Amino acid sequence: MGLLTEEIKALVGTTRVYTAPEAMGAAAGRYFALAVGDDNPLYTDDAYAREHGLPGVTLPPTLICETNQYAGLPADAEGYAGHTWGLHLPGTRQVRGGNRYVFHRRVRPDDVVTATWEITSATEKTNRAGADMLVVGSRATYTNQDGDLLAENTETLIFIALGGAA
Amino acid sequence: MTPTTPPAVGTKVPPLERTVTLTDMVAYAGATWDWHRLHYDPAYVAEKRLPGPVVDGQVFGAYLVEMLQDWLGPDCFVATLEFSFRNLMFAGETIRCEGEVSAVSDDAVEVDLSVTILGADGAEDRYAVKPASARVLLGSAGS
Repeated sequence: MGLLTEEIKALVGTTRVYTAPEAMGAAAGRYFALAVGDDNPLYTDDAYAREHGLPGVTLPPTLICETNQYAGLPADAEGYAGHTWGLHLPGTRQVRGGNRYVFHRRVRPDDVVTATWEITSATEKTNRAGADMLVVGSRATYTNQDGDLLAENTETLIFIALGGAA
Repeated sequence: MTPTTPPAVGTKVPPLERTVTLTDMVAYAGATWDWHRLHYDPAYVAEKRLPGPVVDGQVFGAYLVEMLQDWLGPDCFVATLEFSFRNLMFAGETIRCEGEVSAVSDDAVEVDLSVTILGADGAEDRYAVKPASARVLLGSAGS
């Protein structure tokens, strides 16, 4: 053990806030739907969306949790242009544990997203192979320009100690 | 086919299968503003000793929502979606998304989900996502 240092513990509660420089836009939703092969007309047919009680086309639900549009960050050396916590733990490899999305309403083209990320937990564990792990939990809360809560994204990152029982 | 009445516990969701090509992955990288080289750069993944470009795991969430909405129709709203990653998927591989109803109420259905990577022979090879689950509200497309 020893991955859960005082420095890591002190990160719990840290937040980062990003506000998109523009609205999500209908094109972003149509592009995403095309990219994943989802031909649901709720994303592209305004009249169809209205027939089903929506104010117009909406964006595919998971897009808000998957896009880096709001971040406004430059790409790093590996090409990544989204939020990270910049955690680099020597002697570990990082894997993604999973996500839990909560959707409060469908995202509309005119929503300007603010994403508020927070580190919510840091816990030391041992995996089934006996390797030490640091499990870091974080949560993004997505709101729009009117303060409407759109979605939440709880994410788990796992740092597994290399060598030994890994 | 869209159910006209809430499905019963144990009902299987019509599965969704998808082969994810490198072209699909490049399109997804653009659509999500995620240009990490892991998802398209053969030289980068060779350096990392991986067998090929890695499919961005977040896309499985999109496939699971597509499967649920295609099944339940436009008057439903996926309220929660939870998934755990198990194995990497590489460019050119095929997945099968599956679901089974675990609980039902008057206005919602809960579904256990999984995403399985298929081998070249079409047989199940390994899980990409498991466990996973969703809660879907019925009767409205949301707002």
